Amino acid sequence: MSDYKDIIIDHYKNPRNFGEMDRADISMDESNASCGDMIQIQVKTETRTDGVRLPHPDGIGVRNDEGGDLVIKEMKWRGVGCAISTAAASMLSEKIVGMNREDLEKFGEAGIVEMLGGEVNVGRMKCATLAYRGLLKIFNNE
Amino acid sequence: MFDVDKVRADFPILKRKIHGHDLVYLDSGATSQKPESVIKAMDDYYRNTNANIHRGVYELSVESTRLVDEARKKVADFIGARTEEVIFTRNASESLNLVMYSWGRDNIKKEDAVLISKLEHHSNLVPWQELCRETGAELRIIDVDGEGKLVMRTQELKNSRTQDEVLTENGLKVRLGGFEGLIADGKVKLFAVTGASNVLGTIPDLAGMLTAIKRKAQNATVVVDASQMVPHMKVDVKTLGADFIAFSGHKMLGPTGTGVLWGKKEVLSKMRPFLFGGDMIGEVIITGATWADLPSRFEAGTPDIAGIIGLGAAVDYLEGLGMDNVRHHEKDLMVYALKKMVELQDEELVTVYGPKDVEERGGALAFNVIGVHPHDAAQILDNFGIAVRSGQHCAAPLVTGFGVPAMVRATFYVYNTKKEIDYLVDKIREIPKIFT
Ligand SMILES: Cc1ncc(COP(=O)(O)O)c(C=O)c1O
Repeated sequence: MSDYKDIIIDHYKNPRNFGEMDRADISMDESNASCGDMIQIQVKTETRTDGVRLPHPDGIGVRNDEGGDLVIKEMKWRGVGCAISTAAASMLSEKIVGMNREDLEKFGEAGIVEMLGGEVNVGRMKCATLAYRGLLKIFNNE
Repeated sequence: MFDVDKVRADFPILKRKIHGHDLVYLDSGATSQKPESVIKAMDDYYRNTNANIHRGVYELSVESTRLVDEARKKVADFIGARTEEVIFTRNASESLNLVMYSWGRDNIKKEDAVLISKLEHHSNLVPWQELCRETGAELRIIDVDGEGKLVMRTQELKNSRTQDEVLTENGLKVRLGGFEGLIADGKVKLFAVTGASNVLGTIPDLAGMLTAIKRKAQNATVVVDASQMVPHMKVDVKTLGADFIAFSGHKMLGPTGTGVLWGKKEVLSKMRPFLFGGDMIGEVIITGATWADLPSRFEAGTPDIAGIIGLGAAVDYLEGLGMDNVRHHEKDLMVYALKKMVELQDEELVTVYGPKDVEERGGALAFNVIGVHPHDAAQILDNFGIAVRSGQHCAAPLVTGFGVPAMVRATFYVYNTKKEIDYLVDKIREIPKIFT
């Protein structure tokens, strides 16, 4: 079944960082109106001023300019969703660590598709990007 | 005799392969496929006749005008209406909005109530929410029971509520309850109700409700959302008891971009136009205009000429099959499908929604595969060539009322077969395996 790669099934069955946080810095809800999916995202953030950030395992989060910068330290999430939106949220909850807004924007929808194994049916892009859109909102309302 | 193989041969798209499988199209509730005759009528029009209507004395324009007039006559005959009562729109949503803007804004006052049901498609819900918010009228909603049938008395509700539920938000007052309680005070001025649910298939007892409502509120105006009715069963506006009906051409084998509003002449002729511009005027001077007669008054601008001609061909096709045969075929499929799905339900593989009695349901079958999100189920079915819809089916309050965020829906039409249902059931069995 080409659309349900093992990695998707794995994250769907064992979602990472699923649950609630004691004291979140920011919480945000996002939903897909047409399919009823909902996600609540909570993050702990930190402001870095030293120009050096938590290195990201994929190298995406490394930045070198200076000045205050809001970075995600930890993400937890809860919600109801399909395998695609669940797997995407789970994977993103790991990838997001160390990212700032610019990194996330650069990661973009293309990054989501890549992360899910390189192929997402256009009809499912709304599912795939549910958590991503929630995270963008977190940065935009900071 | 209804010969489904012969019917299938008329639909070119059914020859398509999807992911290497034969297409099994089970989403006619969203839009139907089109027979060769409809495609050809539109193609012919563009190749041989194309010209604007009502605007030229030359041959092509005269022919185009005649083709549109003929299509209007076909649609009118199909539903038992007079030709001038048939207004072409883009779709059922536009038809319902026309009633809301043109009739609703002039007739609904603060002290009135608008009655709808919880079965409504958003197209027959949101316009009335907005009208009631604007006018201060109360929006009353007939609740559904566990089978998705309309509740006649509030006491019959599944949670044995004995009183109507009243909610107020952003200036909109909503009362949710049983039909009889909601009409008791005679304040209902407009009753807008679906003739068949696009999600659960429920066919409400329109005749019974319309008789009851006329007893309590003699002057109540009735709108029937016939989007899932006209394509599937014989509808005769002379006996239906409605003042308006709305439906879409694209769900009845016709092209997209076509819809119909039928209205009683006495009601339509008192209404103000909804859209202004070309074709809908009588006389225009620099300081104003008079309005054209029906139906032109409600058809501003160049219509979807090719689409209307295609819709006429679709009506011919359905007349050729016979609407009683169409309904019979779909009932036959539904009996078969329900039996199979209930077997799956007994095996705890699926949950099936909607009325159990096929006399009370049209060709829509909503279900969920237990433990699998409807989008995932639908996508896996797509991999087998099966097109079903998943989501809230433009009826969010209804779907979420069943305690689920979404549902899978299979809808049947003239070209579907029992073999396709067997295939669907077979593939539903495959779904849980992928996630275990
Ligand atoms: C019952 C019902 N009403 C209204 C509509 C809206 O039709 P359209 O999208 O053509 O305006 C639909 C279509 O899904 C429907 O099923």
